This record gives sequence, structure tokens and C-alpha cells, in this order.
Amino acid sequence: MTQKITLKIAGMECPNCSMNLERIEDKLKGVLFAEASYRKQQMVLEFDETIVTLDQIKAEVKRLGYQVAGTL
Amino acid sequence: MVNLLVAFVTGLTTGGLSCLAVQGGLLASSLAGQIEADVQKMQVRSRKRRKDLRAPAANRSHLAAPILAFLTSKLVAYTFLGFLLGLVGQMFQLSPATRAFLQIAIGIFMLGSALRMLNVHPIFRYFAFEPPAFLRRKLRKTAADGSPESLSAPLFLGFMTVLIPCGVTQAMMAAALGTGDPLQGAALMFAFTLGTSPVFFAVSYFATQLGKKLERNFTRVVAVVILVLAILTIDSGITLAGSPVSLSRWASGIFGSTNAQAAPDGLTLGGSAAADSGDGTVVTVNVQNDGYEPSVVHAKAGVPVTLRMVSKNVRSCSLALIIPKLDLFEILDPTGVKEIDIPAQQAGSRMPYSCSMGMYSGTIIFDL
Repeated sequence: MTQKITLKIAGMECPNCSMNLERIEDKLKGVLFAEASYRKQQMVLEFDETIVTLDQIKAEVKRLGYQVAGTL
Repeated sequence: MVNLLVAFVTGLTTGGLSCLAVQGGLLASSLAGQIEADVQKMQVRSRKRRKDLRAPAANRSHLAAPILAFLTSKLVAYTFLGFLLGLVGQMFQLSPATRAFLQIAIGIFMLGSALRMLNVHPIFRYFAFEPPAFLRRKLRKTAADGSPESLSAPLFLGFMTVLIPCGVTQAMMAAALGTGDPLQGAALMFAFTLGTSPVFFAVSYFATQLGKKLERNFTRVVAVVILVLAILTIDSGITLAGSPVSLSRWASGIFGSTNAQAAPDGLTLGGSAAADSGDGTVVTVNVQNDGYEPSVVHAKAGVPVTLRMVSKNVRSCSLALIIPKLDLFEILDPTGVKEIDIPAQQAGSRMPYSCSMGMYSGTIIFDL
């Protein structure tokens, strides 16, 4: 079952952070699409909730050096 | 040769810091795979032995190769860009007004970038170049497909920096365009980019090891330097546009001299105006490495005037003379005399002029 979610991200301090965050697509199995925006400080995600949970995604975002500040 | 040295030193000082602020992100991302591999190795080791948590110094040396690949690729890309700009400059000559507009636009961009780095307001995030999503995907795949030891990602990303030139680079690109010669343009950009490389290398090699707090403080320092550069760049643009009010004109008004201080026999205090007519129809300005002397000259109004620009072993941008009112752009000889005919001007009018970078300026006042 595919879920689409927009996360508010804290800690994006440079334009390149978006590329860094989008690596979640390669790292976390079940994440089908990730597009982050430095200007909006958010990330749009599509993931298969039967493979990966939102908590796992949040943990991975933290591991990449950012925090999930909420969902939109 | 001296111009190349100036370009190199500019890169080494202001260029390195300013460009790092704009392009550092791409370098960081090209190192991301490497750093991550190092972190993973460290974690494996730390599971075996807790004491190994601190990264051994040898780990840092892994970063040298990708940083060097990135910088070499960047050097090649910018040299090629310099060649193309010189070629374009050969075909079109930028008007003084276009140069002024370009300079002011670059300054505003730098100002916005500095305010963004200082987190003044979210609106300044629009001053940052964020590569489009498809390009980020392509860059990410390039980085992911290669092994951490692979240099393809840093090589590719280094080349991509031509898409995000920083403010000082853009000024240097304008200078490359101004050379009007592909080889000179390429040499200028090569010297400048080579100059930025040591700062890039040192900061990225060590900054990747800095703590978040230290990194943030460093960013603030860079932001303040860029802020100052932005103000100077905008001021240069204003000077180039021929505005009588600018910081550099204000400074030359305070520290500069005027031919009104000339001795009664027509000789100026500096002895430069020996060939002056004395009645203000022929005025002489000495072109020096650090500006124009005297910076303010008084000439006769209502009649054609000859401006004599005298240079002797000059090697600075003061040779690239711009007089906006005459729409004149002239590269003076390092040693020589250039006579410029000025049509009759109204009494009391002013004719500002400057070097092509807006760094040095002078004014002719028609009030004799």
C-alpha cells in the first residue's frame, strides 16, 4: 500500500541538504520517491507502508543529520 | 602575467571563501559517500573495540583523492569556460552600462547569499541555487553507482560547479569576457580557479571533521566576508554606472588630489600635468596601479577638451578605462599616453570615469 506524505524538516542549512536528504530513497527499502526542498524546508515522500514505517523513515532522517519537525 | 597573478591572489583570498559558500555543497555531497563509508567502518571497528571510536588520522587521507578530483575537474571546467567567454568577448564588446548592470546584479546576489547564510529571513533562501530535482537525482545516482573509492561523482560534481559560479567568480568571468581573447580568458580563469583551490581543499578536508557548532560559526564568518564583498561589488557597479555618489568616489574625494591644486605655471603638485594647456582644454591624468592621479581634474566648459591618460609601467585594472557618458571603454597601454577627445560640455557638469571593475575612479569637472 503506497502512502504519500510531506514532512517538515528542521536543520536544512544549505541548498545541498535536499540532495543529501533524498538519499533516503536509496537507503531505505520501501521508500519509492523522495523530493526535498531547502526553500520550503520540507520533503515529499512516497513509501510502501507494508515494507517501511514512518518511524523508520524519521529515524533515517535523523541519521542523515536532520529532524522531522512535523507532517504537513 | 601580472594580471594572472592578481587573478590567482584574488582566488586565494576572497574567491576561495566566497566560492566555497556557493559551491561547497556540491563538494560536500561528492564526499558524502566517502564520509559515510568511513563512518560505517568506524562503527564496525567500535563494535569490536570501543576505543576506536575516535577516527584515526589516516581516515582523513581518504578524503584527499575525491577533493583533488573535484578541484581538478572544476579547474578544467572553468578554464574551458574562460576560453568560451574570451571567445564571446572577441565577438561582442560589453557596453559600460551592461558591465555596471552585471556588477550590481552580482552584488545583490552576493548580498542575498550572505543574508541567507546568516539566517536573517527565510526569503533569502531564494538566493541560493538549488539544483533542479532531475539534476539532483542524476548527481545522486552518479554518486551511488560508483563505489566510495570511485572518483566519478567528485569529477562530475566538480565540473557541475560551472552552473553555480559565486559572486567573485562571476566578476572574474566578466573580466575573462573583457579580455576579448579565448586564450587570455582561459588563462585568467585557470589562474583564479587554481587560486581558490587551496582554500577549498583545506576547508573541505578539515571542515568535514568540524563539529556542527564550529561549522556554523565558520559559516557566519564567511557570510560576513561575503557581505562586505557584496557591498563593495554593488558600489563598484554604481561607480561603473557613472554615478557621482559611491563609496569609492567618496574615498577618492577624501584621499585623492585635484588639479585645482596646480601651481600657477600649470604644473600640478605631482608634476604630472606638464603637458597641460593651462587653460583647461588639455588635462592630464596619471594612471597608476592604485588609481588615477589627480582623481579630480577641472577642465574648460563649452569647448572640446583633450583628456591625456598617462601610464608608466601600470599593471592593474586601472588600465581598463570606462567613461560612461562617452560610452567609452578603452584598454590603455601599460606605458604610454592616450589622448581622448571630449566634446564640449556644459559649465558645471561632471564626467565620472572608472576602471572596468569599478574599483578606481575619477571625475572631470567642467568649471573653468
